[in-house]
Amino acid sequence: MTAYAHVAEFLYHEARLLDQRSWPDWLGLFAEGGMYWAPLAFDQPDPVNHASLFYEDALLREVRAQRLEEKRAWSQQPVTQAARIVGNIVLLPEQEGDVVVGSTFHMLEWHRNGQRMLGGQYTHRLRHTAEGFRIVLKRIDLINREDVQDTLETFL
Amino acid sequence: MDMHVRDDIARLVEPDRVHRSVYTDPAIFDLEMERIFGRAWVYVGHESQVPNVGDYHQALIGRDSVFMVRAPEGDVHVLFNRCAHKGAKLVAFPQGNVGKFIRCPFHGWNFKCNGALHSVPVRDGYEGTRFDAADPEFSVRRLPRQASYRGFVFASLADSGPDLETFLGGIKTSLDNFCDRAPTGEVEVAGGVFRVWQHSNWKIFFENLNDTSHPMVTHESSVNAARARYKAMEGETKMPFRLLIIEGNGEPYEFWDKLEMVAFDNGHSYMGAIFIPPTDPVSLAHIETLKTAYGEARTQEILNIQRHNSIIYPSCSPHTSFQQLRVIRPVAVDRTMVEIYTFRLKGAPEALFQRAITYANVVNSPSSNVMPDDIEVYARCQQGLLSDGGEWVSLHRDAGRDRPIPGGFVANGLSELPMRNQFRAWQRYMTQEHAA
Repeated sequence: MTAYAHVAEFLYHEARLLDQRSWPDWLGLFAEGGMYWAPLAFDQPDPVNHASLFYEDALLREVRAQRLEEKRAWSQQPVTQAARIVGNIVLLPEQEGDVVVGSTFHMLEWHRNGQRMLGGQYTHRLRHTAEGFRIVLKRIDLINREDVQDTLETFL
Repeated sequence: MDMHVRDDIARLVEPDRVHRSVYTDPAIFDLEMERIFGRAWVYVGHESQVPNVGDYHQALIGRDSVFMVRAPEGDVHVLFNRCAHKGAKLVAFPQGNVGKFIRCPFHGWNFKCNGALHSVPVRDGYEGTRFDAADPEFSVRRLPRQASYRGFVFASLADSGPDLETFLGGIKTSLDNFCDRAPTGEVEVAGGVFRVWQHSNWKIFFENLNDTSHPMVTHESSVNAARARYKAMEGETKMPFRLLIIEGNGEPYEFWDKLEMVAFDNGHSYMGAIFIPPTDPVSLAHIETLKTAYGEARTQEILNIQRHNSIIYPSCSPHTSFQQLRVIRPVAVDRTMVEIYTFRLKGAPEALFQRAITYANVVNSPSSNVMPDDIEVYARCQQGLLSDGGEWVSLHRDAGRDRPIPGGFVANGLSELPMRNQFRAWQRYMTQEHAA
């Protein structure tokens, strides 16, 4: 397989784990210290001095994953369902030996109160490890990130 | 409105219960726009959001799109977002800069930052007509009243009524404490704004802001998750801040009942908190800056004022200890927009601001693990109240035991005093045919 095909396969696999709500497997895709970041503003320079839609380390990702499966998560009765399509995959310049990959996603999400479409760009920084790629940073730029939002409960 | 209808509205509120239609009837919502949001002082924004000449910030007062803008002379003006020519909205972004003049994008009429007409293209076409540049009819209208308290700008659609400080009454102390926590006494909006939809009536959210008997029930999912993750952290003896602010909702009833609930006239209230001397480095560094600025005694006085959510009815809710301000904008009888702003305490360590950002992300963002269960139960109320399965909503907890204080009442932490207090103001606004 080419490097490009490896990367594409990883992104499809990741999207599939999220669609299936396989949280533990998805959490396991992150490198140690890996971050999950969805900026709030179009020109947001950093996640520390500005609020973000998501800025989560392993601990906060675990909290979210566990909450989504809690019996008394009232907003998950029934649980949110989603289908993600990832495309337009491009390899970007490497960072310190890590693969950086840009892609575009559409995410169709169903909740009891209705169905909605979310979309934007993913940027993954992936580290080569013996077990395959591990995520150093998954950045999600939602196209409507500055708009008034309904709640975002699952991972994008 | 005839006497008959006015009496009907009065009958919707009793001292310990309210009729469900106050949350569901679009006609009542229309009347609220007129009689509450058309009269009260409504929060517009903070002066720090428009630091430079021409900077503007958009807001909603009732059904009116308005914006505050910084004029060359330094003052901030609150104007209706409507061109005096054809009525087009003048500014489009939530915040931005108008440049030297406010220029309408339709026919290029130019206005000064105080709203006054500056120029119109091809002026000679107006010669001999009733057009008069000096007539306010041809300027952008200013809000009938505007006032600012420690940088927090409010405006009112009514010509008359109590001044801002009288309106705020005792809740002024929450804005004071918000600013006093800065060693310079000044705060500024920073770090962006979250905007979140609630599919429920605006009053449901206001009631929830001081509702201490919901956290352990509504938030069980996030409390459980935070506790489980903490348990799984090996060798940790102190819960990290980002878990603590989720887990705090799991405190038992006895904890909440010990807090003090303080309510003031005009619907305002706050929920007291207990001062626990902090041991974390961020708080300690902050306190050092306060001691340098104010001295030991004054610093302790400032820190002794500990509050959870304060309510400035009917438009905003400051949280003094985490530097947040939530702004509540009713959009329809069953739809509410909430904006969440974070503030920097000028002169305090930057780590304190970064902690406030973490708090905003974890607790108040649309992706918060805490808020979805709130928004879900609000929507369930909105839907359930449409049912004929009952006519009244209960406000009975500790009813009749509110203790009067100057300008308001005080009660135990689990009391539904703040809700009864909001409806006391609601009933007064709604049954008055003319502004005070």
